[in-house]
Amino acid sequence: MRRTWIYQGLLVAAIVAVLALIVSATNANLARLGVETSMDFLWRRAGFTISQSLIPFDANSTIARAFVVALLNTLVLAAASIVGASLLGLVVGTARLSRNWLVSRLATAYVELFRNIPSLLQIFFWYLVVLRSLPGFRDSLSLGEAVRLNNRGLYLAAPDIVGAGGWIAGGLLVAIGTIIGLSRWARQRRLASGRAFPVTLTAVGLLIGVPWLAALIGGAQLGWDIPQAGRFGFEGGLVVMPEFMALVAGLSVYNATYIGEIVRSGFAAIPRGQIEAADALGLSRWLSFRLVLFPQALRVIIPPLTTVYLNLFKATSLAAAIAYPEIVSVFVGTVNNLVGQPVIIMGITLIIYVLVSLAIALFMNWYNRRIALSRA
Amino acid sequence: MRSGFTWQRLTPLALLVVTITITMTSSAARADTLEDVRKRGFLRCGLIEGSPGYSTLNDKGERIGFDIDHCKTISAAVFGKVSIEYVPITPNTVFTLLQSGGIDIFPGGATWSFTRDTTMGLDFTGVYMWAGQGFVVHKSTAVTRVAELDGATICVAQGTTLEQNLADYFDANNLRYTAITFADIDKGLQAYRADRCDAFTNERVSTAGRISVWPDRDEHLILDEVISKEPMAALVRQGDARWRDIALWSFNARIAAEELGINQANVARMRAESANQEVRRLLGVQGNFGEKLGLSNDWAYDIIRIVGNSEDMWNRHFAPLGVSRGLNRTWRDGGLMSALPFR
Repeated sequence: MRRTWIYQGLLVAAIVAVLALIVSATNANLARLGVETSMDFLWRRAGFTISQSLIPFDANSTIARAFVVALLNTLVLAAASIVGASLLGLVVGTARLSRNWLVSRLATAYVELFRNIPSLLQIFFWYLVVLRSLPGFRDSLSLGEAVRLNNRGLYLAAPDIVGAGGWIAGGLLVAIGTIIGLSRWARQRRLASGRAFPVTLTAVGLLIGVPWLAALIGGAQLGWDIPQAGRFGFEGGLVVMPEFMALVAGLSVYNATYIGEIVRSGFAAIPRGQIEAADALGLSRWLSFRLVLFPQALRVIIPPLTTVYLNLFKATSLAAAIAYPEIVSVFVGTVNNLVGQPVIIMGITLIIYVLVSLAIALFMNWYNRRIALSRA
Repeated sequence: MRSGFTWQRLTPLALLVVTITITMTSSAARADTLEDVRKRGFLRCGLIEGSPGYSTLNDKGERIGFDIDHCKTISAAVFGKVSIEYVPITPNTVFTLLQSGGIDIFPGGATWSFTRDTTMGLDFTGVYMWAGQGFVVHKSTAVTRVAELDGATICVAQGTTLEQNLADYFDANNLRYTAITFADIDKGLQAYRADRCDAFTNERVSTAGRISVWPDRDEHLILDEVISKEPMAALVRQGDARWRDIALWSFNARIAAEELGINQANVARMRAESANQEVRRLLGVQGNFGEKLGLSNDWAYDIIRIVGNSEDMWNRHFAPLGVSRGLNRTWRDGGLMSALPFR
């Protein structure tokens, strides 16, 4: 017993020593080569612009802010692709189990085709499809004045709210609190009396209605920022870049094949008796899916799904290939060329990927435990 | 599709490998680049491939171009012949490869700027060309001047000072724009061609070269203006003074040759017959200038014999693309090129 402790201690000491050696050798060599190793560059003026930013950014912002903008772009892309891949995967997975011959064969063909093409090629393909199939600015597809679509992107009218920020935030908090209370009450009432209450619909209504009312009371000026035609294209409103569309399409279509197979295995793992029991209770097909089949399938689905989500998150770095300004493109590309400190910049980027991946894994594990069969 | 699909993934990987190399390499290994190159028997020259005029392949599959001639210049000075391993690189990896010793010299496409010179552990070896950042636009936009690009979407590549120049110029002139930033020049140019952008910005000469092969060349216009002055210089690793001197004086020899009236066609005759003392020193008839660099006394003669002078190079690579020499003429002809004296 004591001997194993000694060995383990020696191993840890050896690893620490090797790491320390690498760090000190790197620092010494970088100093010899005349490469700066400080992180002061983060507070320098960026001097470049970024085509998509969720927070205000221009050439006068700091490099640290560019980092945040790029990280947010990575997260938005990952989130949109995860939602897209999950929905598509659910459809494909259930379609593969369909008793309809055509539907199940189409789903199989989909999986076999898109699972076997590298995802970078698929992204290039979708980018080409998006750029080549959409019309130019002068022939934009329009839905009234609020929605414009051309090869420069999807332009949407955006709500333009001036003032009463506190009122709106307060309204949002009130709405969320009400929804939590409401869902508890509805659950208790259903357990006691069996009467259902349309919680989801009410929640959506509250989330939109209460902040809106609060904005009116607070005297905010509500309007719409509608895209206006300029010389080269539409300006203003909310813009979804073609690169973003291509990436969400590419990453969703590719990862949906894996999710589809996971979903299929999840449903296949449910004992036949459960389905028959649900039928015997007289549940409708939708209720039997929602209350009996899906929750049980989910327990099988979640662990492998975590792996797919992690892979998808890391695959967002492929976005650098088609000019979507995520963290690899902005930080490892533009910023590294600007300041020339690859060791530090690669280090920061690697750490960010590890941290976000760990956060995704933690969340999925927490969710997995929550839905697991309790043994109490 | 010249650069293939894989390098995008390889760039971070290459950075990592290089990072580890920097970590592991001992300081004594690369103190003397000239010795290393001699022992190895060939020069490792970093190249950005597929840029007509600068670096491309001819009908026989041989590498030709302005950048290739820079590699040949150094090889001629060191070996008296062409003995080069060309290492294809991307702008993203130039700095790391030089720092780690993966290439001996990077002759193409680096603007000599203060930050690069002072913070990156690299040395510049004298201006061999005055380039400038310009724009190519779709003729359908009817744009003829940069000022008319207000509100335009502009495709640009990473890895150089292009992004910053663009931001600085448009900011200074109160012009709005959206930059779509690509990791390499070809992807950016392809996207511009697919109408993702109203304009593409890059060095003017190289843009002229790249679009010269397009079937729809006539539908594009290269604007006359430049928004930056880009003094191009070759890069070597910092801390090897002799190697830097070799590169600097080899490039300088070509400009001196043009000023002295020596060219590829007459160099043998000039060496045999010229009574001009500077010509005699340059071509190794008199003095021992080559030996002072650690080279043979024929070093400059070999350069002119194999590559030619700066005018020969321009006429061979850029004149066929229809690019005027402009600032790159010698100072006697109203340009900025001027040789440091050989005395």
